[in-house]
Amino acid sequence: MSHAFAAAVCRSTASMSLALRCSRRAMSSARLLRMAGATASSTACKDWQRSGLLAAPRTGNKQQYLRQYANEKKVFERTKPHCNVGTIGHVDHGKTTLTAAITKVLADKQLAESKKYNEIDNAPEEKARGITINVAHVEYQTETRHYGHTDCPGHADYIKNMITGTAQMDGAILVVAATDGAMPQTREHMLLAKQIGIDHIVVFINKVDAADEEMVDLVEMEIRELLTEMGYDGDKIPVVKGSALCALEDKSPEIGKEAILKLLQEVDSFIPTPVRELDKPFLLPVENVYSIPGRGTVVTGRLERGVVKKGMECEFVGYNKVLKSTVTGVEMFHQILEEAQAGDQLGALVRGVKRDDIKRGMVMCKPGSVKALDQLEAQVYILSKEEGGRTKPFMSFIQLQMFSRTWDCAVQVQIPDKEMVMPGEDTKLVLRLIRPMVLEQGQRFTLRDGNLTLGTGVVTSTMPPLTESQRSELTEGKKAREKKVAAKK
Amino acid sequence: MLLQKIFTRALHSTRHLYAASGGSGGLEKSALAALRKKTGYTFANCKKALEKHNNDVGLAEKWLHEQAQTLGWSKATKVADRATAQGLIGVLIRGNRGAMVELNCETDFVARNDTFKRFVDHVACMCLHYTDLTDFDGDLWKLGFDADALKNLRTEEGRTLGDHLALLIGAIGENATIRRALCFKANNDLRLVGYAHPAPTNVGTTEGITQVGKYGAIVAYRSTHKLLDFEFHKSICQQIIGMKPMKIGEYDKDKPAENKDDETCLIHQEYLLDADKTVGEALQEHNCEIVDYHRFECGEQTERSLEAIIRSQHQSSN
Repeated sequence: MSHAFAAAVCRSTASMSLALRCSRRAMSSARLLRMAGATASSTACKDWQRSGLLAAPRTGNKQQYLRQYANEKKVFERTKPHCNVGTIGHVDHGKTTLTAAITKVLADKQLAESKKYNEIDNAPEEKARGITINVAHVEYQTETRHYGHTDCPGHADYIKNMITGTAQMDGAILVVAATDGAMPQTREHMLLAKQIGIDHIVVFINKVDAADEEMVDLVEMEIRELLTEMGYDGDKIPVVKGSALCALEDKSPEIGKEAILKLLQEVDSFIPTPVRELDKPFLLPVENVYSIPGRGTVVTGRLERGVVKKGMECEFVGYNKVLKSTVTGVEMFHQILEEAQAGDQLGALVRGVKRDDIKRGMVMCKPGSVKALDQLEAQVYILSKEEGGRTKPFMSFIQLQMFSRTWDCAVQVQIPDKEMVMPGEDTKLVLRLIRPMVLEQGQRFTLRDGNLTLGTGVVTSTMPPLTESQRSELTEGKKAREKKVAAKK
Repeated sequence: MLLQKIFTRALHSTRHLYAASGGSGGLEKSALAALRKKTGYTFANCKKALEKHNNDVGLAEKWLHEQAQTLGWSKATKVADRATAQGLIGVLIRGNRGAMVELNCETDFVARNDTFKRFVDHVACMCLHYTDLTDFDGDLWKLGFDADALKNLRTEEGRTLGDHLALLIGAIGENATIRRALCFKANNDLRLVGYAHPAPTNVGTTEGITQVGKYGAIVAYRSTHKLLDFEFHKSICQQIIGMKPMKIGEYDKDKPAENKDDETCLIHQEYLLDADKTVGEALQEHNCEIVDYHRFECGEQTERSLEAIIRSQHQSSN
């Protein structure tokens, strides 16, 4: 870092760094040629970048990220906004058939690769963050969006999927067979959707070829009623009726192919596109802090979201401190950067703060966009012995080390609705931090005990800060707690 | 065109139905709705019943109840070869008798459902009832059931548990099995305590209530304390569920293992609630002696434990 800031900043290096940056972002050969020409004049280059960025919010993602994994593999073109959906429903109601039908119908339009039933059915075991999950992932795209489609066999697998965050579902398709109607466990399916934070459900009534119109209508009514009862807006939720099997077998297109297309249309319009990391207020978890004589303090780290430019106001939060400052320079690869985007590993020169004021684990962010917390509620998966977790169960009041972003902190665990937690279980936990750290809903973390990874989790909701007496309880031992309980009795 | 027609009609009739179900609903359309709401059987079956009885809701309902058993059996045979890896353990203690049962189903969604939980309760009660029929005056009597024996267990109204299971399969549309059960009967100064994990916190008493969870344990103990410390005995069950000991162990015979975490003797294990003590020390503190215990884990391999049940049966009958 020191080299970078000490180096004389001449015009040519500036333009060179831009060229490098752009070529990293957009690798299509045509653009590379343009870039090569553009390096001659830095102004042209800037113009291009500005226009590219201005266009970005309008079309979702204008920039193309092209990655070549192996020669024979297809190149993923990021031209449409991405959205993750999943299917939930009873085992016999045709979740897998529907998924297969979607890929088939879209494959006819050259938008997906057709998958057969048994290719999706045997949800393979997958390892994400050291956790084994049974999950089937399928990808396809409609005219407007690109989709990742998740299907799991059980409740626990959906929870694990949420915790590891490999494919956080933005919406769900609830599949109900017209012949059966809602099953007793459909209630549990909706509860799950609530629990993993799905606000948008689209209902697909399947097997209408085996039922008559009256039955289909009654099923729709019943499902809407149940959805309302479970806290969804049952009257507004789109319900599509069709037969996945017909679509798969190319029979009666009005309930087959057309119904599938109608369903996708509803999914496109009803489930909102998640906000891209790039469009959020910027946040940089601090990894290192340097002091460069004659220049000031530089913080480094990977920009998690948003965009950082020279001259932006910023705030450092963490370790009971909030410091205001201004970014006076951004660098990457020892070169000056006009603007850093989410995902960039960068160094930022900040004004008016001393090196000792900032510590690894703080975050640099847009003023007021995040808060430090010391109490939160989380959904956590406790690793089983086979996954490298601990062998023993644990109870409330266990002290663990919590790791998230670049910080770690001692926490006390409270188990709100159980008496103990066994390895291999997922559970709700209340975590109390020994000092406030930056935490937000949806943030992922790991819990460790000594040199053992105990579990991984996601923040489900933030809680009010600890009171003075609660804070002192954090450090007191078992004996003191027992005494208090005895005194109460 | 046709699609459009269906949708417009659907929209129209839905509104119509909302109105109908709100009112008395003498219309033909709501007969199906009423029957479904009342009985909860699948739409296809309700429809069939109405067709057979000229839309007479009363007769159709009667027919459905009669048919439920056969329909359940046919569904049960259809799904019989599907694997059941999920499920629940039910633990029921009533006085000096106790029962622990394991029921399996295909997905954990069903295991969370109230219908399934009620059935676990029902099976546990049946097993407990069975122990009443047997006279026994020894200290401790244990009886293990395997899946087939349980299916043939007769309820008071003359049907077998297998029939009840078929009804459940018909309702939830998933394969389900009653895998095993274990009954305890303790006499003289022996007492029983049971626990199922995960259990809700702050439950006053578990006496006479079927606790359900992924793990279960029943412990038979002898205590010289006049006042029973329920919390302590529960913690021993937790210890057994959590630490999975292989045997109780004897103070003079079994030596503690070198690595604390590999300890398989209950009395030498680290006490979960207080890591400074061993379970043995905690037991002595409370003047308590563990006579026997049993642990069920949902979905675990059973061959060994079934053998163990039978073996222990022999022991107790000697």
